[in-house]
Amino acid sequence: MKAVSARNPDVSLSAKTGKSNFWKVAFRNRYLYAMSLPFVVWVFVFSYYPLWGWLIAFQRWKPGKSIWEQKWAGLDQFKTLFRDDMFYQVMRNTLAMSVMGLVATFTVPILFAVLLNEIRNMFFKRAVQTISYLPHFVSWAVATSIITRMLAGENGVVNDFLMWLGILHEPIQWMGKEHLFWGIVTVSDAWKETGWNAIIYLAAMAGIGPELYEAAKVDGASRLRQIWHITLPGIRSTVIVLMILSIGHLISIGFEKQFLLGNNLVRDYSQVLDLYSLQYGLQMSRYSFGTAINIFNSVVSVILLFAANGLFKRIAKESIM
Amino acid sequence: MAKRRKWPVLLMSTALFAGLLAGCGGKDNNGSASPSGSAAASGSASPSASASAPAEDLKPLTLTYYSEDPNPNWANMQDETGKYITEKTGITLDAEFAVGDAVQKSALIATSGKYPDLISAKTSISKFVDAGAVIDLTDLIDKYGPNLKKVYGDELKRLRYSEDDPSIYVLPSYAGVGQTYFEAGGGFELQHRVVKELGYPRIRTVQDFENAIKQYLAKHPTDENGNKNIGLTLNADDWHMYISVTNPAFLTTGGADDGEFNIDVDTYKVTYHFLRPEEKEYFRWLNHMNAEGLLDKESFVQKYDQYKAKVASGRVLGLIDQLWDYADGEKALKAAGKFDQAYGHYPVTLNENFKDTSFWPTGFMAGSGVAISKTNPDPVRTIKFLDWLASDEGQVLINWGIEGKHYTVENGKRVMIKEVNDRRINDGTNFQKESGIGNYTLLSAHYGDGVKDPTGNYYTLKFPEQLTNDYSDVEKEVLKNYGATIWKDLFPKEEEFKVKPWGAAWNIPIPSDSDSTVIEEKLKNITWKMIPKAILAKPEEFDDIWDDYVSQLEKADVHKAEELRAELVKARVKLWNE
Repeated sequence: MKAVSARNPDVSLSAKTGKSNFWKVAFRNRYLYAMSLPFVVWVFVFSYYPLWGWLIAFQRWKPGKSIWEQKWAGLDQFKTLFRDDMFYQVMRNTLAMSVMGLVATFTVPILFAVLLNEIRNMFFKRAVQTISYLPHFVSWAVATSIITRMLAGENGVVNDFLMWLGILHEPIQWMGKEHLFWGIVTVSDAWKETGWNAIIYLAAMAGIGPELYEAAKVDGASRLRQIWHITLPGIRSTVIVLMILSIGHLISIGFEKQFLLGNNLVRDYSQVLDLYSLQYGLQMSRYSFGTAINIFNSVVSVILLFAANGLFKRIAKESIM
Repeated sequence: MAKRRKWPVLLMSTALFAGLLAGCGGKDNNGSASPSGSAAASGSASPSASASAPAEDLKPLTLTYYSEDPNPNWANMQDETGKYITEKTGITLDAEFAVGDAVQKSALIATSGKYPDLISAKTSISKFVDAGAVIDLTDLIDKYGPNLKKVYGDELKRLRYSEDDPSIYVLPSYAGVGQTYFEAGGGFELQHRVVKELGYPRIRTVQDFENAIKQYLAKHPTDENGNKNIGLTLNADDWHMYISVTNPAFLTTGGADDGEFNIDVDTYKVTYHFLRPEEKEYFRWLNHMNAEGLLDKESFVQKYDQYKAKVASGRVLGLIDQLWDYADGEKALKAAGKFDQAYGHYPVTLNENFKDTSFWPTGFMAGSGVAISKTNPDPVRTIKFLDWLASDEGQVLINWGIEGKHYTVENGKRVMIKEVNDRRINDGTNFQKESGIGNYTLLSAHYGDGVKDPTGNYYTLKFPEQLTNDYSDVEKEVLKNYGATIWKDLFPKEEEFKVKPWGAAWNIPIPSDSDSTVIEEKLKNITWKMIPKAILAKPEEFDDIWDDYVSQLEKADVHKAEELRAELVKARVKLWNE
């Protein structure tokens, strides 16, 4: 949305011609402003107003007393956090899994969308698309149980298949190998979300004018050349906007997959930041500590978002702000 | 056009805005409601206290009730017993159960400031106490709780919260007073077909257990359908780790169940139990079982449902678990008529020098139970309600149901009506939903199994005669060959142990700001990671991994955790036995 409005010539013009013009423009767009007001209020109430609760990260907060009667602790909570070895381990796992996830979500769905876009048989195309995004609606609780069964050592499809091919001689305990855990999470994520993520790229591809392809054909461009010179540049801005947004979310990857797929054998590789804050914050009623983790999380996300934005602005001349 | 278009826009934005305001406004209202509610509660407590003279107040009153233990058979008191209770006391409970992580749910309720009227939160109760959310019941019990006093008797002193705060916040309702355990549900389990085939060998040490499995597997590598038999599988999904993997380490080496610690019954010396050298040998044995191929390779990977399904398939020869943990799987076996693939319980220990400690007595385990919140609208009626449940009439009702409908008294002997009892055993879930029997035991003080009421009948439905009725023929035959009538006969008796004066360490609440919470969580993480690693390692690497494990524990301040626990244990011993 913002990316679109940023390229709106009207707005960029007004920014150049000075302040007095702002009110003119604002008045001209008063209905738009009126319509956006509820959402601004919404954001304020649900995203900014609760921020004052961050205060408890600097306290030793105990239930039953108001926030002003609590003991102040300065940066103690943050010190505890940064001194904890486990924190670095969970950060490593979080970043590793989200970077792998990022790579997967920006290659597989795009490739899939490009291939799907080349299909001329509409019925087949629609059918493939629908089937491919179905797993998105399966909850992680169900998906993980399917995955663990498939990878089971006994009667697991994957093991049985590999043994039938003669690649393996005895079943492997996939879920018990700690070095495979990140990979399993990434692959299952790709399986679940590829179809869904491809939708937005397909939509972007649908917006590319057919005359471009016709012109390319006249010039004798092959299918591959058309993809390379028309389709991919056509979805470039969509990809960059999505990429910047997901870089902002790098360390808040949730914990469902890791929690449900993990077991004690892979613990060193399955613990992520959100699980850590759940276990060592909320579950132990260390609310102040949990909030400290959350602040750290938000600060890092904001930094990452701006860094990514700046980087793309400079090298790709595209950005969301 | 322009004029016309304006209105929808304005309307929509005002509507949305109003919606937002309403949303925030609602929050504010709630916020202000709870203090005024508490004011009303404390206000109403004193007048009704003074007005207690008139006859029992049976005005309908609905109390909210929160419990950490989910009860899937709860029928909103619309079951037969529930209706009877409401009729007698005027009270209806609106229950909420924790789903998912109960400790976390309790913590959230404790911080929210909106408390249910009755709170049953096990050890999480300390959070409510710290938040000042529950009231002292000492005076209420004294004035309105004659039955509660009678049931608790001398144990009343165990209800005090701590030495600094000797108030009574909780009416212990999990432990029955005077409880005798008739049935053994733990130990090591072997399928009946295994011991039968091998001619009922002595099963006393882990070596015997291993040999039995090994010999049977050698004879029958697969079941009749050609599926592979599994020697031993463990249940290591999340907290089941305690039950099936780590607790057996002390149970088989002469240590009592004190959670993650071992406490010397004479000196009160506290040791993180994995540091005991005997337990290293227990895990070495599991490591050996794995090396021999007798331990299921999926033990540490499988989820709980996979474990249960495996048990239900009847292919698992041996288990190390508690009956309630694998019962679902075994029920399926029994329902399919495969009684010889069900399990017997054997008091297995590391070697003959140890005694299985399953029945180490704890004395009355005050602790988990029901508390009354400060926002309860009528604490006096609430305590009267709980007192009624603890009366003889109430206790017989919650255990036996309604006379004439569920049980009859023949020649002074209380017997369950045959059809009702058959239904209770064969269609337990629906029976509990309809009759309500079993839904109300965790609400108030009650006597344990084996205690007789003034008419000479047992209060509860569990007594030796009843037990053997539930056994299958195969089970009876196996027991006969071991010279026993019930499984418990095989186990060392309570009298062989010295009563632990602190009850059990796992039931001592930890002050919420204590360092031990964090240290113990870290120790748990290390243990849960390293124990499976040690078991699955090559036997020659076991010692190295174990050394690594111990050094990690020491780095995580294991000895400080021991000291902190020792303080708690000493305080508890003093509190309970003075």
